[in-house]
Amino acid sequence: MAEDDAATVDVANDVGDEIEPIPVGQIMSSVRTPLLIACVLRAISAVAMIFPFLAVARVGEDLLADGPVDEDAVWGSVWFGIGGLVVAMATMLGAAAITHFADVHFQLEIRRRMAQRLGRVPLGWFDARTSGQVKKSLQDDVGAMHHLVGHAAVDTVAAAVTPIASIIVLLAIDWRLALFTFVPVITGVFLYARMMSGYAERMREYQDSLGRVNSAVVEFLAGIAVVKTFGEADRAHQRYTEETEGFADTFFEWVSGMLRISNLTELILSPIASVMWVMSGSLLFVERGWIEPTEALPFLLLGAGITAPINALGFAAQELQTGLAAAGRIGALLATPTLEEAGDHRSPEGHGVRFSGVSFGYETGARDALTDIDLELAPGTVTALVGPSGSGKTTIARLVPRFWDPREGTVSIGGADVREIDPRELYRTVGFVFQDVQLIRASIAENVRLGRPDASMDEVVRATQLARIHDRILELPDGYDTVVGDGAHLSGGEAQRVSIARLVLADTPVLVLDEATAYADPESEAEIQEALSELAVGRTLLVIAHRLGTIVNAHQICVVRDGQIVDRGTHDELMSGSATYQRLWAAQDTGVVEGAS
Amino acid sequence: MTLLRLLLEVLSAQYGARLRTFIRLEVIAAALGGIAFVLIVPTLDALLREDTGEALTWLLIALAVVVAYAVVGYRAKALGYEVGSTVSRGLHRRIGHQVVRLPLGWFDGTRQGPMGQLASKGVVDVMGVPAHLARALIVAVVTPGTLVIGMFFFDWRLALAALLTLPMLVLTAQITGALVKKADARLHAARSEANSRIIEFSTHQPVLRAFGRSVEGDERLDDALVEQRDASRNLLVTVVPGMTGFIAAIQIAFGVVFVIGTNLALGGDVGVAELVALLVLTVRFVEPLIVAADLMGALRLAESSLGRMAELLAEPTLPEPTDPVLPVSSEIEFRDVTFGYETDRPILTGVDLRAQPGTVTALVGVSGSGKTTITRLIARFWDVDHGSVRIGGADVRELTTETLMNQLSLVFQDVYLFDGTILENIRLGRTGATDDEVIAAGRAARVDEIVERLPHGWQTQVGEGGTNLSGGERQRVSIARAILKDAPIVLLDEATAALDPANEVLVTQALRALSADKTVIVIAHRLQTVRHADQILVLGDGEIRERGTHEELVDLAGGRYAAFWERREAAQGWRLAATGESV
Repeated sequence: MAEDDAATVDVANDVGDEIEPIPVGQIMSSVRTPLLIACVLRAISAVAMIFPFLAVARVGEDLLADGPVDEDAVWGSVWFGIGGLVVAMATMLGAAAITHFADVHFQLEIRRRMAQRLGRVPLGWFDARTSGQVKKSLQDDVGAMHHLVGHAAVDTVAAAVTPIASIIVLLAIDWRLALFTFVPVITGVFLYARMMSGYAERMREYQDSLGRVNSAVVEFLAGIAVVKTFGEADRAHQRYTEETEGFADTFFEWVSGMLRISNLTELILSPIASVMWVMSGSLLFVERGWIEPTEALPFLLLGAGITAPINALGFAAQELQTGLAAAGRIGALLATPTLEEAGDHRSPEGHGVRFSGVSFGYETGARDALTDIDLELAPGTVTALVGPSGSGKTTIARLVPRFWDPREGTVSIGGADVREIDPRELYRTVGFVFQDVQLIRASIAENVRLGRPDASMDEVVRATQLARIHDRILELPDGYDTVVGDGAHLSGGEAQRVSIARLVLADTPVLVLDEATAYADPESEAEIQEALSELAVGRTLLVIAHRLGTIVNAHQICVVRDGQIVDRGTHDELMSGSATYQRLWAAQDTGVVEGAS
Repeated sequence: MTLLRLLLEVLSAQYGARLRTFIRLEVIAAALGGIAFVLIVPTLDALLREDTGEALTWLLIALAVVVAYAVVGYRAKALGYEVGSTVSRGLHRRIGHQVVRLPLGWFDGTRQGPMGQLASKGVVDVMGVPAHLARALIVAVVTPGTLVIGMFFFDWRLALAALLTLPMLVLTAQITGALVKKADARLHAARSEANSRIIEFSTHQPVLRAFGRSVEGDERLDDALVEQRDASRNLLVTVVPGMTGFIAAIQIAFGVVFVIGTNLALGGDVGVAELVALLVLTVRFVEPLIVAADLMGALRLAESSLGRMAELLAEPTLPEPTDPVLPVSSEIEFRDVTFGYETDRPILTGVDLRAQPGTVTALVGVSGSGKTTITRLIARFWDVDHGSVRIGGADVRELTTETLMNQLSLVFQDVYLFDGTILENIRLGRTGATDDEVIAAGRAARVDEIVERLPHGWQTQVGEGGTNLSGGERQRVSIARAILKDAPIVLLDEATAALDPANEVLVTQALRALSADKTVIVIAHRLQTVRHADQILVLGDGEIRERGTHEELVDLAGGRYAAFWERREAAQGWRLAATGESV
């Protein structure tokens, strides 16, 4: 990595934290209709589910009634019950199918939205995050929303409609026993609510503890060589042990702290307890002569079933929390500010680059990384940026291809502000080579053609020849059709030259180049240098220089220090006129580094 | 159950006993729950006959069973949580213990992600088995079993009708199981592809954007996402008939019992109480099975996590010598060493080399020629396939890990600093060192130059992995560590990454301080280092092709070293031309 990059490490998440995330409702707006239909179906199902129980009760009453049994009525009830069951199951299945299919489409839609958003955020956004985090957002977080789309709404409807429909029926039969029947439900819901208070907080503690276990493991593994070679196995082990023991304790404290209440809640809401409760009540009511024995039947049958959906909701509480948290993160990502796009695009006229009064800070409010930069790159000339680590060289270079936009001032190409240039045209104008090699998992030919998909094979070969990589490609198992990563094992320097060939083919008139690219792979340093020299021919070149010798012939050398250009001129001019430049040379030659900070 | 066997295998004996007790309690609780349900039949029967006295007797018996059920269930749950946290503790301990004993070579940089997952989420998956899953699964088996047995007591025909559902459920589960497996494999593949395209999308954003792919959409990513959608939909389409079958089986059970029961009741063969109670039981009979089916996914997760843990624990560790010896000097010798990471692809073949105490040996060669492997074999990251690696006359396999490590200082490219202060990180080199000694080592490695610039000086936090420092700075801290350790042998992999001139000079100074009077093996990238080495070994295709000093090798006509030197010299003088023409 270029040393200057150290400055960008801290950007992290704070950029995203200040913005208002998109609310869950809005994220899920496209599935509103299917969810509504599914909820209606689920409500029908919950009501229909009562029919079979009523039918059983009616059959019981008819059979026990005095006098001859009306067989037709009994069979009528049986078929009524079975019919209700069929309707209940069919609508339930329908509701589940609708939400699940809706979820499958929703996931694609939301992933596309996220990818599109990320395609327009400042490139620097990606510097502050690992690809693992991006993967987690697009895959895991979207996956975690499954509960919200697939289950939460319909489950809630079921949990509410089943008891409500049941109590209406039961109230009609005997209001006293109905109220009695509902005591466990109400107690259970009350206990449940108490159990859930503070749940989110405990959950967070638990997740934090788990996160610490994860980072302790990673540290343990990453540092294992150090740990072993310095005989410190026990010590590094110690943090791992502390965190994992801590996690076990956190878990145990949490669950055992809730053991009584959660057990009680579960017991009260269990079917067996409900049945026993209703049975006791029925016995009492029959004994007192308040109801006929047969009237107890619907209470027994419905009483056992009303708590089940509430229990199901309880089990799903964690998934609901996880889903909502994921939706929150997705909402924040979708609200990430994108690079401004001008309504009317302007085209650059010419290939000169100009910085006028550019100031820039990675974080709002923090110290500026660049202050008041004025710089002009005449078309076809070489400009080099030199300076100690962290001085701002890389930051200056990155503003040209709009990794970030300046806070103040403008960067323009051919007279047009980069913010006003159509992004497609901007990237056809500015090419850049940084140290990290960027080959995508596609064939070598496709990789070279990335910027010009219509280029002929002859043009591709000419580019790879210029980039000194053609012969090596021919040695690969499938030549130009070899897929990078699958069949091709390219060394760092070889991959670097493929990416240089890509730029040769793309033929951008302006080129931003990190000179350290040449040293990525000592074994093929010379080849990369030759390739870079070929690439540079005739372009407006901005070079981040590490080895001062490389750029002594540049038209213009800018000495960068503390985010400002302190001196500029040719090598000869600076050698006589710039103390800082002289010190840089001295440091390189002798190791004296005074003033490097 | 493979899960249980694996769990017992991974847990040690004392935890195993607890696990068994827990399972026994859950089985008893589930059986009591089933019995309580069965007792509804005589209670209801008495109630419908308006024999309230008898009904009360049965009810009290049933209530007593429910109380017993609640008490045993409570005990079981408490024990389940305890076992759960014990499982977490036990697994973490065993993982940690194993990790310390694995050969260093096992840690190849790809392990952190999966291992982090295994030790956090994986352990949670497994822990959930006693804490959450076991109850539901045991209830799914025991409660219906008890119910069916109970039903046989009252009416065998209805019991049989209810039992009919079981083969139907099993059959649908099996048919859909096979289909789901296929659909699942497709989804898994689609998801992996999408994962890697997203990672590419993220890490390659500059290039995708530079070539207009983000503005117009990255079609490779989009294709992968669409395939993931199609695979998910395909899985759903496969699952729906199975779910329908499951639900149909429940309906049919209920319907059959209802119809047959009503028929029998009309004929007076079955009492109304039995009919009603048995219908309630039928519903209860099927319900736990559905819950269990829902939990199968979680169970599979736990099972695969456990499987991966068992694999990890089965990884062979480096054997410690039974009769350890001590090295008599810091001389390093390879005798006819052959080694490969895969059995049929040797990286080194028949390598002989000798490095005298107090000399510098430079390893030179193209990437993949085996330079790194040589340094790793000295540190016993792996054991050789053939021949021997000796330090001071003793085979490294005859040294204890501690003795071996005391001989070595490793300064590799991927420097890792622990989250702590600079001082603490240097002190790792020798735990007992005084502050003065630590600072002296820091000075020698030119860490003082970093410290001067930092607000908290030596007490500055380096951040996790040392991220608050630059690459060159981290390297100097790790060299200071090695200086403090003062081991007689130094294994050094020079940084290839470009350092700015100031850092490069400081790192060179640090290395000079470290290497004085040591036996040094260096994978050399800097020409200065190579030139001044006492011995240069040029590697090619796993063998040492040339050896000698710079003067001896540089003029060897057609020699590998001569060619290497020429190209590297040329690269040093590279200039980007101001005229825009290539040099």
